[in-house]
Amino acid sequence: MNWIQKKPFYFIVILLLGVLAALPWLAVSYTLTLVFFLSVYLTLALSYDIVGGYLGYMNLGHSTSFGLGAYTTAILLNHGFSLILALGLAILLAAAFAAIVSYPLFRLRGAYFALATFGLISLIEVVVTNLRDLTGGSGGISTPPGNNLLPAYYLAIVVVLGTMVFSYYLARSQFGLALFSIREDEEVSRSFGVPTSLYKCLALVISSVPASLVGGVYVWNMTYISPHSVFGLEIALSPIVMAMLGGTGTMVGPVFGAIFITLVQEFLWTKVPYFHLTMYGTVLVLLGLFMPGGLVRTQWVRPLVQRLGLGEEIEYFKKS
Amino acid sequence: MLPDLIQLLVGGILLGGIYGLAAFGLSITFGVLNVLNLAHGEFLMLGALMGYVLFTALGLNPFISAIAVIPIFIIAGIGFYLLLLKPISEKPPHQLLVASILITLGASLVIEDLTAFFWERPVTGIAYSLPSLDLAGVVVSSTRLLILLFIFFLAFSLQLYLKKTYIGKSIRGITQCLEGAKVVGIPIVLVSALTFGLGVALAASAGVFYVTLFTVTPVMGIPLSVKYMCIVVLGGLGSLVGSVVGGLILGVAESLTAYYFGAEWSPTIAFILLILILIVKPEGLFGTKE
Repeated sequence: MNWIQKKPFYFIVILLLGVLAALPWLAVSYTLTLVFFLSVYLTLALSYDIVGGYLGYMNLGHSTSFGLGAYTTAILLNHGFSLILALGLAILLAAAFAAIVSYPLFRLRGAYFALATFGLISLIEVVVTNLRDLTGGSGGISTPPGNNLLPAYYLAIVVVLGTMVFSYYLARSQFGLALFSIREDEEVSRSFGVPTSLYKCLALVISSVPASLVGGVYVWNMTYISPHSVFGLEIALSPIVMAMLGGTGTMVGPVFGAIFITLVQEFLWTKVPYFHLTMYGTVLVLLGLFMPGGLVRTQWVRPLVQRLGLGEEIEYFKKS
Repeated sequence: MLPDLIQLLVGGILLGGIYGLAAFGLSITFGVLNVLNLAHGEFLMLGALMGYVLFTALGLNPFISAIAVIPIFIIAGIGFYLLLLKPISEKPPHQLLVASILITLGASLVIEDLTAFFWERPVTGIAYSLPSLDLAGVVVSSTRLLILLFIFFLAFSLQLYLKKTYIGKSIRGITQCLEGAKVVGIPIVLVSALTFGLGVALAASAGVFYVTLFTVTPVMGIPLSVKYMCIVVLGGLGSLVGSVVGGLILGVAESLTAYYFGAEWSPTIAFILLILILIVKPEGLFGTKE
């Protein structure tokens, strides 16, 4: 794919970056918060996709990394650590946790893996709630007050762009290919010399890094979290719904899905206070029934994505 | 000390019996359909609410309701299967997996959210009890004892059903080899639908007992599904004995944890057991290595 074919793509990217950078001077803080949340969810959706889409193991417990990152950052900030150090330690903790749980969890496959990781969230939520002295229990934890919206906004943008670039190059690396091969057929992949256990563990660890980092940024901006707000169903499921709706196993899929869902939330959910989970559930059921490949693999969006030169991985759900 | 321990064991075994019954429903569904029903806990919750309604509105004895909900939920389960799971049953394995997780998880969220909306009371329980028995210092609630006997009776008749009847044999046949079952002419769709209905009905029936002993909330479904999965993995896939034993182990472990470490820690024990069994014996206690 030479760069002339990708010209419109570069143009769009530069335009978007310019708008995002200038947004604090163009819009009210409500819009900033909206973009901040979009970045948080999109980072989660993209990092979920490394395990859920590339590796093919549905990690429903992806938000444990997010919650662990958020709680670690909050506790360290309260103990007077600098933000950079707190975020770094949060990433280390979440990555170490992912490495440890990967050993037993990857002995499960398919739906069992999905449900077990889903159970992991409630396990960590119970532990966090019960360790009252450290975490403030079910009442939640506050960080030192202050308005960090502007720096947090830029930080979140940097994190989400970094995750996008990383996810793009990961799919084109040898490691990424190994993950795809595990998804297609783990036994064959192993017999071709792919160290499947190591790579699965690595994939889980890698996907925990952006999630925990964005968790730290989230709590830095929000200055308050509770077990429910970071381990709840909403934060666990919406990134996954975004990734699945957009299309898993591609970098563009989660981007499409996240923007779509955020827009729907903006226009619909502010008007309907009930049935948010019902809507998520209905979207999930319809996706499962009619297009498990997601939006980017539908006949209307696929040509567009391919024209932008991002379509390499898009054929995956077509073959059977 | 000792009476306390025995008391705990009795309580745990009873809880475990309820777990085992519902977990077996999950296990046969997975065996036949190759789909893990993430909405399984929701059906237990719905069964529990139905038991509550039958008890408060009609004064129906829980033992009768536990039987009465079975046909209702078999029909509901067959409907669920035909509407949501049959359309995806012919897909290749990875797509089937993704689609089935999406569908059952989505259905579970819908059920949970709608129930929570229409069921205004957050917590529900019924007061049904018979006089207690005093056996050499150990007080045993005779309700609980009867329920346990009833559950073993259900498990026994289920075992007979699976061993002796045509449908039961087909269920076991499909679990062992889908291709082989097709070759000998077993009606796959019919048996799958019936199995799903049966699995769901077992969960609902367990739910009726659940509401006699504990309180029920509309949001308990997903944590329960996770527990059942832990039991199924613990006991070994597709094994009735395994599910019952796994359920008993979890029930006892939960009541011991609640007693020695405090009730707030008992939700963690299912997961710890899961991790332990995966490290020590990944195929489960009664499972066979592939």
